[in-house]
Amino acid sequence: MTLTLRSKKFMTNRLLRRKQRVIDVHHPGKATVPKSEIWEKLAEMYKIADVIFVFGFRAHFGGGQTTGFGMIYDSLDYAKKNKPKHRLARHSLYEKKKTSRKQRKEEYKNRMTQFRRTAKASVGPGKKK
Amino acid sequence: MAAPGNLAVLESDLQSAVTLLKNLQDQVMAVTAQVQALTKKVQARAYPTEKGLSLLEVKDQLLLMYLMDLTHLILDKASGGSLQGHAAVLRLVEIRTVLEKLRPLDQKLKYQIDKLVKTAVTGSLSENDPLRFKPHPSNMMSKLSSEDEEEDEAEGQSEASGKKSVKGTVKKYVPPRLVPVHYDETEAEREKKRLERARKRALSSSVIRELKEQYSDAPEEIRDARHPHVTRQSQEDQHRINYEESMMVRLSVSKREKGRRKRASVMNSQLHSLTHFSDISALTGGTPHLDEDQNPIKKRKKIPKKSRKKTGVLSSHIMARRRKFLKGLARKEELTL
Repeated sequence: MTLTLRSKKFMTNRLLRRKQRVIDVHHPGKATVPKSEIWEKLAEMYKIADVIFVFGFRAHFGGGQTTGFGMIYDSLDYAKKNKPKHRLARHSLYEKKKTSRKQRKEEYKNRMTQFRRTAKASVGPGKKK
Repeated sequence: MAAPGNLAVLESDLQSAVTLLKNLQDQVMAVTAQVQALTKKVQARAYPTEKGLSLLEVKDQLLLMYLMDLTHLILDKASGGSLQGHAAVLRLVEIRTVLEKLRPLDQKLKYQIDKLVKTAVTGSLSENDPLRFKPHPSNMMSKLSSEDEEEDEAEGQSEASGKKSVKGTVKKYVPPRLVPVHYDETEAEREKKRLERARKRALSSSVIRELKEQYSDAPEEIRDARHPHVTRQSQEDQHRINYEESMMVRLSVSKREKGRRKRASVMNSQLHSLTHFSDISALTGGTPHLDEDQNPIKKRKKIPKKSRKKTGVLSSHIMARRRKFLKGLARKEELTL
């Protein structure tokens, strides 16, 4: 288990209320380490688990080294506000709606058929009661 | 004896003295008349200077003070007093130094003053004035009635880019009409550009570089230099990595980029540069040749001339073949007949 984590370019981002860093993972002789393992390791190091986000891991040519980004937010509220939704969804903090685009377009079209001419423009997205 | 000599000198001097005094009197009268006229005008507020250049006003006042002090001194001297330790002398010296210090400022303002005077005299800017070519934004706004709508929309968009702006009346988009420029790159120009590029490429090829090394007197440098494409690609990669790490994002790699990277890495592994030399025909003036396993040069597509009429669409060689065919037909008919 020769996994070494090294952080470069550490910066405290006061605007987005987080600490961000570039993480260099050294794993000689093994395949690319999955994100969850790295997340666990970081959680061990910093003792807080739910405000750590890691992403963007790319392996270097020849194997043995991976580089990615990691962010530790000041609190969960800030994380929810500032993070893009797909990253929150990976940590099951966010659920996106499951309706497909086709379904939504069809519903919109059906609603539009109720009106005539320029009133069609007044049909907005979302359900109308 | 000294006395008659003095008398003679005095007599000649007397003559010149009298004429000089007369001149003086005339001049003084003329000057007084002028000064009185000027003071009348100034008191009648014919020269308003509130909106003028303050430097010029300061200079005027200083010069006037200088004149006053000078006349005071002359008065004292003429009535027999001495100038030793006179207060006016000190004042004069002070004003003189200030005026001297103002002279470089005057130099710096010279251009502005000249221009102002010229504008005031002629009433408009001169022909060579570069200010004539300043931009006129009022010329660039479209003179159609949808002017106001466009402005409002622009404001609304800048405030809240996410929200949809509610338009009262949906108007057709009219693109702004600026000065149109005719694009006219002829075939000759394109050829020239191509030649230029081929030349540059030929100059930096390995053959020419080795020739340069051979004939130049500079000491030979042995560098761990890779192929220039490879170094360029590695530089770009480095730049990309720096950007990604500082911005904390991952950039997407387009197909072209991937191809370039692959080619650069391939160049490292092959013994390509041992046997393949780049084309230097642009310098020698010959026809471009190629090695066997390199790609053939792309033939430039001829851009069809738009002035060709629809009636003459068939090109000349097709017409020639048609004629031949018809002739052959006619001959066959003759034979059979």
